[in-house]
Amino acid sequence: MKGLIFSVKRYSIHDGPGIRVTFFMKGCPLNCIWCHNPEGISPLAETVSRINKVGEKEFSTPEVVGKLYSAEDILAILEKEIVFINQSKGGVTFSGGEPMLQHEFLLEALKGCKENGYHTAVDTSGYSSTDSFKSIIPFTDLFLFDIKHLDNARHIELTGVSNVGILDNYRLLLGSGKDLMIRIPVIPGYNDDADNMSGVRQLLLTSETGSLKKLNLIPFHKTGSAKYKKFNIPCRSGDIQPPSEQKMVELKKFFQDAGLKVKVGG
Amino acid sequence: MKMSERVSRLRNQSLNAVKKLSAERALLMTQFYRSNEASDLSAPVRRAKAFNYLLKYKQIFIGEGELIVGERGPAPGETPTYPEISLHSMTDLDILNSREKVSFRVDEVVREIYEKEVIPFWKGGSNRDRIMQLMTPEWMNAYNAGVFTEFQEQRAPGHTVLGYKMFSTGFVEIKEEIKKSVSSLNFDSDLHASEKLEELKAMDIACDAIIMYAHRYACKLERMAAAEKNISRKSELLKMAAVCRKVPAEAPETVHEMLQHYWFIHLGVITELNPWDSFNPGRLDQHLYPFYKKETEEETLSSDELYDLLGCFWVKFNNHPSPPKMGVTASESNTYTDFCLINLGGLKSDGTDAVNEMSYILLDVIKEMRILQPGSMVQISSKSPDSFIHKALDIIRTGFGQPSCFNTEALIQEMVRQGKSIVDARNGGASGCVETGAFGTEAYWLTGYFNLPKVLDLTLNNGIDKRTNRQVGPETGFAKNFKSFDDLMNAFRLQLNFLIDIKITGNNVIEKTFAEWLPVPFLSLLVEDCIAGGKDYNCGGARYNTSYIQGVGLGSITDMLTSIRYNIFDNKKFSWDEMNRALDADFAGYENIQHELIFNTPKFGNDDDYADQQAVAVFDIYYDAVNGRPVLRGGVHRINMLPTTCHVYFGTVLGATPDGRKAHKPLSEGISPSQGADKNGPTSVIKSASRIDQLRTGGTLLNQKFTPSFFEDEDSYACLTALIRSYFSLGGHHIQFNVVNAETLRDAQKHPELYNDLIVRVAGYSDYFNDLGEDLQNEIIDRTEHEAES
Repeated sequence: MKGLIFSVKRYSIHDGPGIRVTFFMKGCPLNCIWCHNPEGISPLAETVSRINKVGEKEFSTPEVVGKLYSAEDILAILEKEIVFINQSKGGVTFSGGEPMLQHEFLLEALKGCKENGYHTAVDTSGYSSTDSFKSIIPFTDLFLFDIKHLDNARHIELTGVSNVGILDNYRLLLGSGKDLMIRIPVIPGYNDDADNMSGVRQLLLTSETGSLKKLNLIPFHKTGSAKYKKFNIPCRSGDIQPPSEQKMVELKKFFQDAGLKVKVGG
Repeated sequence: MKMSERVSRLRNQSLNAVKKLSAERALLMTQFYRSNEASDLSAPVRRAKAFNYLLKYKQIFIGEGELIVGERGPAPGETPTYPEISLHSMTDLDILNSREKVSFRVDEVVREIYEKEVIPFWKGGSNRDRIMQLMTPEWMNAYNAGVFTEFQEQRAPGHTVLGYKMFSTGFVEIKEEIKKSVSSLNFDSDLHASEKLEELKAMDIACDAIIMYAHRYACKLERMAAAEKNISRKSELLKMAAVCRKVPAEAPETVHEMLQHYWFIHLGVITELNPWDSFNPGRLDQHLYPFYKKETEEETLSSDELYDLLGCFWVKFNNHPSPPKMGVTASESNTYTDFCLINLGGLKSDGTDAVNEMSYILLDVIKEMRILQPGSMVQISSKSPDSFIHKALDIIRTGFGQPSCFNTEALIQEMVRQGKSIVDARNGGASGCVETGAFGTEAYWLTGYFNLPKVLDLTLNNGIDKRTNRQVGPETGFAKNFKSFDDLMNAFRLQLNFLIDIKITGNNVIEKTFAEWLPVPFLSLLVEDCIAGGKDYNCGGARYNTSYIQGVGLGSITDMLTSIRYNIFDNKKFSWDEMNRALDADFAGYENIQHELIFNTPKFGNDDDYADQQAVAVFDIYYDAVNGRPVLRGGVHRINMLPTTCHVYFGTVLGATPDGRKAHKPLSEGISPSQGADKNGPTSVIKSASRIDQLRTGGTLLNQKFTPSFFEDEDSYACLTALIRSYFSLGGHHIQFNVVNAETLRDAQKHPELYNDLIVRVAGYSDYFNDLGEDLQNEIIDRTEHEAES
């Protein structure tokens, strides 16, 4: 079995502990208006033109985004990075897109990684069937789990999907005994209002926080806009401005005051 | 630590000191050589007397508020010249005075002294003139083609660092050692006994000279104290005078005495001649620690006093711009920095962790002082605590380019492989840029950079240099005659061996000129076993003698060979005719080919075996050609891989190349990938760099650029620490971090006046961004940009 992966990042240091290799898996059921990985949305391989400048001349080369990898391919890449992974107590992270969309491949890859002693992490929107999550729990050491908005109507408006199943899965993982890191994208004017943030804080506090490791607040950044052009996807986040540093400091304090371990940035 | 008002003022004075050429030394040297005193003497005794003459008449400078005294020139920023080594012409003086970068003001007085006294006496008689007359036409051809440079044409061989011994002894005791060595001379059986006697006589004169020089300072300080109204300064001056009465004649006993002791030694070395890499206290935390510990226990030194002394000491290095070279370009290793590299951390001679309280204190000083000189490095062993590395990262993250990180275990293995004792190896470290050395026991001379891509260029053109149209290498055929990639590599090996032979033959002749004409009796006192053997440092007196030829452009040549293998032999994307037409046109009209070469061809630095194999092949050929070749003064040649700024000069002598690089653009530096070639991040760069067997070198240089974002929190520190330790576990020798963003650099280019303190890592050393040529500035901006994008 093979999985469709659009990017492999080495020296990935923000997707779990230590130095990791992050595999970005293609395809995502969500359609967040602030998405910074638009190349991960379509579940199919896409051909885009890569523009390279040589002197004053521009050259356009077709580039396939999305390549097939077997679990063995994944292990071969990890093998190349093993000295860094061992030294830093790092591992492998599957991100996306939404990795759960290729659940069967993900399961096989995770199994392979665990058999070879790697620390595994899955970076997910939480939007998948509960059974799928149940199947990967034994082979996953850490879940990086997004909470985007608590109000379901607003959630649908911003991401195109309901948050009901997401919140169920959140509770499932919380009770799984596996490490859980919550990530909140901070999108000014969309989800950073006091109501939503208070709600999220309440959710995190009332949960069984036994396995909740850390909270990541990820400020919106504009790096995605150039990619949109390249993938011919209309950019809907053009008017959004990144949150001020002050705002992030305030939010950090807001969650810290509730006893959570908070980090700003991925 | 907070810088005191005193240190802050001295620091500012040093930063603002106008760099000036001083004719003092040149004039004194001319007077001495013209006098009767200089005639009918053996070379070592003549040099010792010249040294004595300089120290007797050299101006004494004591700056306001200084605690450590002594200057290379008459005042901070004033730089002497060394006409016996190389003689500046009037044109050279004009260029130094007017050139935009790394300039030195030359006033009318200096010009007049040069015109009337110095030039008439030394013309045709400098060692550079001697060297150039002795070199063969083959050597001159290769040199002019830019195949290699010659280190000893404008500076004396130095490349050595003070070891433990000199911090626990004084020159009075050294004189006793000399006496003993003299009494053990055996004139019946030792054919060289009389030469040794002359050398030992010279060493004895040099001891007296340095003690006399310190006493001149003591006298001046006593006179100043007598006239001083301010009570506290008066007592300081008296204390300083007492220190100068005691050291370097006697062994130091306090931190203050130890620093002043070293500083007199430092001044002695750089006054005697202009050795490469200035001179260096080496393992400073180790040397200082016993004095610090004793004084802390006895409560004779407060923390404020300690930081004041260290601050004053630091400024001293920065007061001394590197003596300017002659010639017109600033591209060949031209900089104000004089390559002092303070070593911190590492292992003790018994193999235990050497990181101590002083290591942390000195890191504080480095952070607070934030000046170009002295450079600093941390020796990281598997026993070093993470906290030591984190403290270093704290400074590195500020984008100051210091300290760089070295692998202690690699340094030791390199030295032991070369035949040094384990103790001598553990007591060593790195100096200059990245050069491995046994401190206090080794003379490890760099002899010149070697342009690896230029050799490939000759290989593709039947040994003809396209730029000068001369036959520089042997006739091994043209590119299109090679039937296979292996054929090409065989021809490359022949070319390289031929050119290395030329270089080594030249080295031996040049080393002889220093042995015969320019012994260094003072420096010889400092390096074991010169006294015991009655042999000068420049004649092979040191316990270990090594000569290096520094390979430049490994990343570039790897990409060039990989491109040939990939595009011409393996995939037949182009014919040689097409490739050559594109190269000859510097890709004008052939941008499609250039595009393929740059963007669709494997490159070094991506953990890609296809490309990295060529790096290993070139490394092995280079190693086989150089390693183990005898050195005239005893010992052997070795290789290391570092460029200083020579990758810029070496690029200027090359046309367009098969890696897609345009004509005259810089080559890659050290063992780093070509600028912009690495696309997979730092772990892949490290994997590629560690494919070559670095433990067989005497130093490699790997530059890794990061934006400050990689240093933002504890987690990223832990990852960087793991990254460094991983590289070192793979046998990496050295890694350094340039932490900047491209926007800042571009702004600095536009408004240099706002960025006088902007220091960037160039290649093995840091320099003021403003002092770099525009090409080098652009190169650093490009690298930074690339890093930010990837």
